[in-house]
Amino acid sequence: MKRWPVHWLLLAPALLFVGAMALFPLGYSLILSFREWKLAKTSVVGEFVGLQNYVDLLTDDPDFFEALRATCIFVTADVLVTVAVSLGAALLLHRAGRLNSLARTLLILPFVMSPALIGISFRFFLNAEYGVLASAVAAVFPSMKDTVWLADSTLAMIAVVASDVWHWAPYMTLMILGGLASIPSETQEAARVDGAGSWAVFRDITWPQLMPVVAVVMVLKTVFALKAFDTIFTLTSGGPGNATKTLAYFVYEQGFNYYDMGYAAASAYVLTAILLVLAGFYLRLVFGKAR
Amino acid sequence: MLTQSAHAASDRALIPGYRQPAHDKAGDWLRQCVVFVGVCAIVLPIFWITLTAFKLPKDVYSLSAAFNFTVTLENLRTVFEHPWNLGSKIVNSLVVATSTVLLAIPMATMAAYAFSRFEFRFKKTIFLVVIASQFIPAAVIVLPYFLMFKQLGMLDTRSALVLVNMSIVLPYAVWMMKGFIDAVPVEIEESAMVDGAHRARVIWEIVVPTALPGIITAAVFCFTLTWNEFLFALIISKQDALTLPIGLIGFRTERGDLWELMAAGGILITAPMFILSLLVQKQFIQSLTAGSVR
Repeated sequence: MKRWPVHWLLLAPALLFVGAMALFPLGYSLILSFREWKLAKTSVVGEFVGLQNYVDLLTDDPDFFEALRATCIFVTADVLVTVAVSLGAALLLHRAGRLNSLARTLLILPFVMSPALIGISFRFFLNAEYGVLASAVAAVFPSMKDTVWLADSTLAMIAVVASDVWHWAPYMTLMILGGLASIPSETQEAARVDGAGSWAVFRDITWPQLMPVVAVVMVLKTVFALKAFDTIFTLTSGGPGNATKTLAYFVYEQGFNYYDMGYAAASAYVLTAILLVLAGFYLRLVFGKAR
Repeated sequence: MLTQSAHAASDRALIPGYRQPAHDKAGDWLRQCVVFVGVCAIVLPIFWITLTAFKLPKDVYSLSAAFNFTVTLENLRTVFEHPWNLGSKIVNSLVVATSTVLLAIPMATMAAYAFSRFEFRFKKTIFLVVIASQFIPAAVIVLPYFLMFKQLGMLDTRSALVLVNMSIVLPYAVWMMKGFIDAVPVEIEESAMVDGAHRARVIWEIVVPTALPGIITAAVFCFTLTWNEFLFALIISKQDALTLPIGLIGFRTERGDLWELMAAGGILITAPMFILSLLVQKQFIQSLTAGSVR
């Protein structure tokens, strides 16, 4: 018998595991999405219904469209704010200085915090009576006094975006700082000596080299925003109404509040399709140019 | 390369007559103010939660007692008592996170070594599939997992949580570890191999010790993800296998939210992560940023 090459032996455990625990469920969910299965009624997989779940989802479910709408608003706002904040922060922190190096150290803290705790904390901070953030906002804008943040669709969405930005922007800042560190500083210095202003240096020298990193940050953040669940669950539970119920939350609700497995699988697949397209983008951005 | 450019920059600063433009002074001051605001934005919420954990309920529900309150350790004691029992949840979280890391890191190290050192058919495709599996939304794999564990009678067990968490962290770990092993010079290995050392010995005695900082970083990263994991624990654990993040939402009762207890639980879930991440901070940040500048 021919001996197995070493590399396959080394790869086998990880690949078998990823195959069994990630790719198999992906296939299983697809099969599930073509079936009718209300787990509350029966624990046996129901009959094959073809594309019925998808048809129902796309033609007969206003909640699904509200979830799509909430997802679009959340992801757009979240990605734009996160990228803007982290780009600005990275450019500021790229310079040397004691305060800056302290700030760079602190950036890791929000990232390692439990997202569930972050959601809970923002709920606490935004409490109408004794919430410290709600009071601070009311102190600046007196018209916001006695506002119940999480009972208002727009404000609840702002709160969800804010908590997610708080969690992710520091991490994204670190990524952009990594990108900045890899840009050789000679050209910038030379341009500055030649009398170019900060803005001109940024626009003509830094930005073109930094753009690939910002693009990666943008795609990654989009993926994380589409997957966001913990903070939404603990902060608003998708409310008020369906205002902050994103697709990820919608899938959870169909599967584990209504126990409609086939329908949940179909909606999960809509989300997966979006994410895999983005994954393709991301992989091309990061790995495409290297080969 | 990097050190060279750093030298060039410091050399220029030493050039006589090279001075920072004057208009930068006011700008510098403004920039420092913005950074200060940013630091506050990170620190103040954490600080506020920490304060809350040491407050009596009456001080939590009033802003006038923001800083002027009686310090109490009562909350940190209460969360360990019935019905909250955070003690058993800490044990579950520790067992699940530690087992996940101990199983995932060796598997990831082996796979990363193979990706780093060998050329073989479909290498790029296989690597991309492993990376792409991070993008599968948890929502889509949670249904099959739930049904699978239900069938196997494994709902509400730590083993189920370990399996699920491994599937989350393994792709990240392989990716991170490949970067670290790529950085280990291959020459030492080759000379050892020429001397007749077996591949397994080379990995164990040369690669692992050299890449150890990277391995620890990947381990901390995986531990953090598992420790904070919420969705799967919410669905799979009911009573016996509850983890800390799920314990936190237990403080949302019919009587309302028990903020002081949530804050005390919050300290328990956050403090270990802060300590761990600050310990390995330098490598941690390097590897976190690896995805953007590869």
